Amino acid sequence: MISPIKIWRRQKEIRKVLGLKGKILTWTKIFTPGSDFKKYAPYPVVLVELESKEKVYGQLVDGDDIDLKIGAEVISVLRKVRAASDDGVIAYGIKFKPL
Amino acid sequence: MNYITGYYTTRFGELWDKSLFDLVEEAINGVLKQNKLQNKQIDAVFFGNMLAGVLENNLHSPSKIAEILKINIPIYRAEAACASGGAAFNLAKTYLDANPNKNVMVVGSEKMTDYSPEEAVTGLSAAASGEEQEAGLTFSGLYAMMANYYLEKYNYTEKNLAYVSVKNHYHGSLNEKAHFRKKILLEEVLKSPYIAYPLKVLDSSPISDGASAVIMTNNRDVIKKQKYSVLVLSSEIATDTISLKSRKHIDEIIATKIAADKAFKVAQINRKDINVAEVHDCFSIAEILAMEDLGFWEKGLGGKKITEDQTMFGSGGNLIVNTSGGLKASGHPVGATGIKQIGEIFLQLTGQAENRQVKSAKYGLAQNVGGSGGTAVVTILGI
Repeated sequence: MISPIKIWRRQKEIRKVLGLKGKILTWTKIFTPGSDFKKYAPYPVVLVELESKEKVYGQLVDGDDIDLKIGAEVISVLRKVRAASDDGVIAYGIKFKPL
Repeated sequence: MNYITGYYTTRFGELWDKSLFDLVEEAINGVLKQNKLQNKQIDAVFFGNMLAGVLENNLHSPSKIAEILKINIPIYRAEAACASGGAAFNLAKTYLDANPNKNVMVVGSEKMTDYSPEEAVTGLSAAASGEEQEAGLTFSGLYAMMANYYLEKYNYTEKNLAYVSVKNHYHGSLNEKAHFRKKILLEEVLKSPYIAYPLKVLDSSPISDGASAVIMTNNRDVIKKQKYSVLVLSSEIATDTISLKSRKHIDEIIATKIAADKAFKVAQINRKDINVAEVHDCFSIAEILAMEDLGFWEKGLGGKKITEDQTMFGSGGNLIVNTSGGLKASGHPVGATGIKQIGEIFLQLTGQAENRQVKSAKYGLAQNVGGSGGTAVVTILGI
């Protein structure tokens, strides 16, 4: 379950990996998601290795299927990651867009 | 020395008229009857289950099992995602190693089809890391990432993966307890809709209900009275990071490699001695990686080897894989799977596998994986 406190705790970490460049290590496109992501499907998810060698997951936004390639360059951006909870808190997180 | 003397499994499938504990009760009574054992002869029970707490708000299952058995013995629940059954078996074996002259029962069960696919997928995602869940990754998504990486690295296509499903559906057609008993063609796999690219519906194990149970004992008096018995040569469990991204290799499950190396060492047999294996094919790619990680196939050659059909029943190959139909066709009631795998090996080694019986099988292996590879259990049985 997602609580506002959990969202707050996680969001403190986001700025550390914001605006960083990296390459797609592998990717998929989700057609059968869990309940919280149903309305966004299908959506692509990439695993990115940042220039710092840190690995981060995120959905690919502002791109097309043609951008979904192993080795393609992307940059991390801040986006809403799921619909607002019943408490009205909007969860933001890391997504990637093609470079 | 620990022996398996009995195995019972319910049918796997969409069993809407049965609750989780209706299924558990059927498996418990089935295996007791088969071994002509009374409730009071069981010294401990180990229960594998993942989702009852998440989906049904239903915990404290040991007490519920005590109510079914009408006894007051130690009962433990093991949870390790899709390896919950294997973990329960491993714990039971450890218990017997520490306690002479005991009979234990290992039961695994899952009730999944009361819920929508999205609810079941969300429940299963509890076994992924928080970051994976937040990125909208599902288990099909994580295995899809492994598949995509593997196919590109070794220059294979989705067709290579499809061979796994065709083989396992053929095996499922021979197993009256299987969720799916229909043979399928390569073209049907390739035409089925995507669930997480490059994995399709027919690359994936279904959401199933079911329960399976085995009796394991080190009590010589009990063993002597049983018609069938199989020696547990080894059962080893290994763990790894919960997050796929934290692993050294994306297309390798190191927990399987570690558990397998230990299991073969303890059992004192070689890979080529194994005649039958049940491996954790939650998705087609998982069987190919399992065959490589277990050391049966060379790394990177799995995509080619599977197309040779040498692990299919009737091929004449030395190692037949997933005669139960695997998770793909036999079904995947998460907590039951690890027990069913061991049970299938028991049936094969005791000549009870009926129309899918592999001739003169002497050694068998079961590999059960939790999550995207955070837990692996490898068990070797012999006669």
